Amino acid sequence: MICSNVVSSLETDPAESSLADADLARRVTAAAPGEALAAETELYRRLAPRVELYGLRHLRAEQAAADLVQQVLVLTIERLREGRVREPERLASYVLGVCRMVVLDLKRGEGRRKRALERYAADVPMAESSSSPRVDLDRLASCLDRLHERERSVLVLTFYSERSATEVAAELGLSPGNVRVIRHRALGRLRECMSGELSAP
Amino acid sequence: MSAACGTPLGLSLLVDYWLAELAPADEERVEAHLLGCASCGYELRSLVNLAGGIRRVTRKGAVRAVVTRAFLERVAADGLRVREYRVAPGGSVQCTVAPEDDLVVARLSAGLEGIGRVDLAICDDSGRERERVRDIPVSGAHGEVVFLPRTASLRAAPAGVDRLKLLAVEQGAERLLAEYIFVHTPSPAGPARG
Repeated sequence: MICSNVVSSLETDPAESSLADADLARRVTAAAPGEALAAETELYRRLAPRVELYGLRHLRAEQAAADLVQQVLVLTIERLREGRVREPERLASYVLGVCRMVVLDLKRGEGRRKRALERYAADVPMAESSSSPRVDLDRLASCLDRLHERERSVLVLTFYSERSATEVAAELGLSPGNVRVIRHRALGRLRECMSGELSAP
Repeated sequence: MSAACGTPLGLSLLVDYWLAELAPADEERVEAHLLGCASCGYELRSLVNLAGGIRRVTRKGAVRAVVTRAFLERVAADGLRVREYRVAPGGSVQCTVAPEDDLVVARLSAGLEGIGRVDLAICDDSGRERERVRDIPVSGAHGEVVFLPRTASLRAAPAGVDRLKLLAVEQGAERLLAEYIFVHTPSPAGPARG
């Protein structure tokens, strides 16, 4: 059962949390299968949000990104257990490769998803990925109000449905370079406002 | 909190990555970094959350902005109910906002070719200016301004008349391009103007 080992709110083991990713990977490889659960859990905790971002970027859907996290980390930890990750110090590159492979599979439809999960998921610990705090929407609306009109238009057109500078520029009759400048300035001002540093309208 | 990054990815690079604007080699470099760096991942996550927030407040009609025709097509494709009022220069329209409306837009047609700066003045029935939206983005080629007011403000507005004026601002002087009259009737539960 895929969810049988999902562990919510896992406590961080101080001994593991001080280790580098590569050290954790070596620890998993060196141990008998399933005997380095603390290291596996710590790796999962660290890698899940990073893989989730990769998934959001390439799949543009929360649920698909969550599926990707499970599949990538199940495969990665299983490969570590099997000693098939030859350069643990290059774990990020390895995970990136697995991400690409799984995204391709997800985009194709079924692929190895079910097979991999059926084969490995029951033995691998899973933690919830830790997203950063949600945005205060009232404050965000107020901060957007403080932007210049062009800045607000560019942000809304850009982020409502992830449009590139070239696309937004074509809609507004501006150059892509101009849109990029406005976008960068607007995001900076918006972030300042959200963190309480921007007082002047 | 994550350990600091020795070679942090800048905001522009993260935005470019998120919007798929990077060349493949640069994208690969950024992705390899992000998968190994909790600190930069946190920055990207914050940006993604902010982007998601902008999407949500826009869908709620909580943002006033000048948008575009293509934007209206996207929100309609997303299933939002958009009430549109198209008005010609000098024209007048009866308008309201219904309980089921997500967004309301004013489409103000105007000759905007070659004008450097355009302001939108929101005036009461006597012509007194209540609010000025400065230097709005306009594309002369499109021949209209698509103005998206806050839906909640419209819901709270009593019956009355608003005059919207498009003004060309050139060399310190301003010139009226066009005026539009909106005769607002609240939806059944709305307030009455005193």
